[in-house]
Amino acid sequence: MKQLVSAPALFVEAGICLVVGLLLAFLYAPVDASSMGFSQKIFFYHVPIAETALVAFGVAFVAAIAYLRTQDLKWDRLGLVCVRLGLLFSLLVMVTGMIWGKAAWGVWWAWEPRLTTFLLVCFLYIAYLVLRSVVEEEQRRATYAAVFAIIAFIDVPMTFFATRFLPEGLHPVVITTSGTGMEGSMLVSFLVSMLGMTLLLVAFIRRDLTVEDLKDRVADLKNTIGG
Amino acid sequence: MPLEIEVEGLRKTFGRREVLKGLSFSLERGGFLSIFGPNGAGKTTTLRVLATLLTAGAGTVRVAGHDVREDPMPVRRTIGFISHNPMLYLDLTAEENLRFYADMYGVDDREARITELLERLELSHRRHDVVRTYSKGMRQRLAIARAILHRPRVLLLDEPHSGLDPRAVDILDGLLTEIRDEHTFVMVTHNIAKGLEWGTRLMIIEHGRIAYEHAAGVDPGSFSAVYREHVQEGSVL
Amino acid sequence: MAILRKDLIRELRTREMLISMILFVLLAMVIFHYAFTVKEGADLTYFTGGMLWVTFIFAMLLGLNRSFAQEKDERCLDGLLLCPVDRVTIFFAKTAGNLIFLLIIQVVAVPVFTLFFVERSYVGDLLPFLVVLLLADVGICALGTLLATISMNTRSRDLLLPIIFLPLIVPVLIAATGATTLIFAEGAGFGGLLARVLFLLGFDVVFIVAAYGTYDFAIGE
Repeated sequence: MKQLVSAPALFVEAGICLVVGLLLAFLYAPVDASSMGFSQKIFFYHVPIAETALVAFGVAFVAAIAYLRTQDLKWDRLGLVCVRLGLLFSLLVMVTGMIWGKAAWGVWWAWEPRLTTFLLVCFLYIAYLVLRSVVEEEQRRATYAAVFAIIAFIDVPMTFFATRFLPEGLHPVVITTSGTGMEGSMLVSFLVSMLGMTLLLVAFIRRDLTVEDLKDRVADLKNTIGG
Repeated sequence: MPLEIEVEGLRKTFGRREVLKGLSFSLERGGFLSIFGPNGAGKTTTLRVLATLLTAGAGTVRVAGHDVREDPMPVRRTIGFISHNPMLYLDLTAEENLRFYADMYGVDDREARITELLERLELSHRRHDVVRTYSKGMRQRLAIARAILHRPRVLLLDEPHSGLDPRAVDILDGLLTEIRDEHTFVMVTHNIAKGLEWGTRLMIIEHGRIAYEHAAGVDPGSFSAVYREHVQEGSVL
Repeated sequence: MAILRKDLIRELRTREMLISMILFVLLAMVIFHYAFTVKEGADLTYFTGGMLWVTFIFAMLLGLNRSFAQEKDERCLDGLLLCPVDRVTIFFAKTAGNLIFLLIIQVVAVPVFTLFFVERSYVGDLLPFLVVLLLADVGICALGTLLATISMNTRSRDLLLPIIFLPLIVPVLIAATGATTLIFAEGAGFGGLLARVLFLLGFDVVFIVAAYGTYDFAIGE
């Protein structure tokens, strides 16, 4: 079982899921009946990336609370890794979103709820990284970063909520209250992609945690030798 | 004599640097601890932990019977802190500054106490003047008033004599003599003469550790020798 | 509250911060006029809410930096921390102080703004307007005070504050400008504004609770 969860294995599993998902999306799921046609396929990646980004930020939120309670720096490390990955995924959301927008509606950018929320999310978590960069002392940096991560994560749904006040955008609503709005075959492809994306996130988290740990150890060694 | 200050295994790390490496000492009520040591040794850090301004990384610190980490409020009520930063609001008058702190500490006889202290420190004539107009010596004197306003039992002093004109030094010494009994003191200083004059216990902190500890009664000459022996940088006598 | 009184006395004595902020706000309005009326007779009615709130938010950035800079000088913050008061009390006192300053500025700025930019009389909608104003102000001040406490202790102090504050305050901005523009342009009673008002209220509550929980950490060492 441990084999299945080890870092390299995770990447492989994630890769498999994603490829399968891709195949399903293209071959199995029917072409979308509405005006978007083939370009709608990007949805199978775009939405999972978006949701995975939010999951990453959610984990950072939990890690921040854990750090404030325990003062254990390992939570800070987890938070940092998750925010960076979340930010990366968010940028991808923006990119795929813009591609989809161009293909489906002919515009590169539209000021509609989901795109703008993610734009702000990007700014928010870039601010997190900037905040980290101007505090030198470890514990304090972790504390401030944790406070900010908590506030930022609460702000995300707020932002999304607020952007919905503006006139309705072009974004098709996928999950409506009456059901998932997708046929069975689409749903399967979607879920597989979703799983793949989440596994990818977990794989990256593990890898990055190890990298950060190594970085810290190198810094420690340098200190001992130098000082 | 009950122990007023108990420190056990105090550690503090700033980033990757361990500034305090396991200090342990205690001070009985009424005692006067003089702490010496080179810059960066961790003296001020120790004092700030005692003052609840910093949280210790590890170890226990008890002041006036309360743990500074678990129970900081009662500790804050019993301590007064004098450092070379006067911690005064420049745009407020002396009176307003003291009134503010008196309110924060819940001093009962506020007005009387303020008047009394301003007189003691020879600042009455300037009580309605904004602190910005005060000289450095005067600001330090006001800072002393601020520190003892709430009648703290323990006084923590961080290089209190530095930057004071001779008159202010006299006033400070006079004040210390007056409240010497029934008060406990911890003073960090570079002024060996003063430290020896006042201290009942002497301590040298170096690189975050106690390098030397002794009860009072040490001859200044031999102490200087000990000091230079333990410390790379000398200090002015 | 002693802290509040202290901050107010200090500010009223020097009036530095207040005067600078008021001047800034008024100047901003003038600049907005020139920035937006390139076309003859351009209609700015639907820009009014935005202009107003952008000005207030940037003015607050100035004010927040100042209010904490004074604590950092002379290490007065240490003096505060030595006192036997809850850290959260310090937060509420500081927020209240900032709120009062903001309100003072708004008392001056809003009439002038109305004079410059608002065609319609909105006296009938004054109450909803004030409610929106107050709720948005609370959110701005609470969040601002919390973040200023953090940014004050960092290397690039006042440069950091806009970066961490502005993204977070966007929801408030959206709600407030929407409501204000509606009031200025078309007039709206509580009914039309209900959603936005509730949102601002919710925002305030949530973030005050969050600040309550985290302020100890933000201000301590």
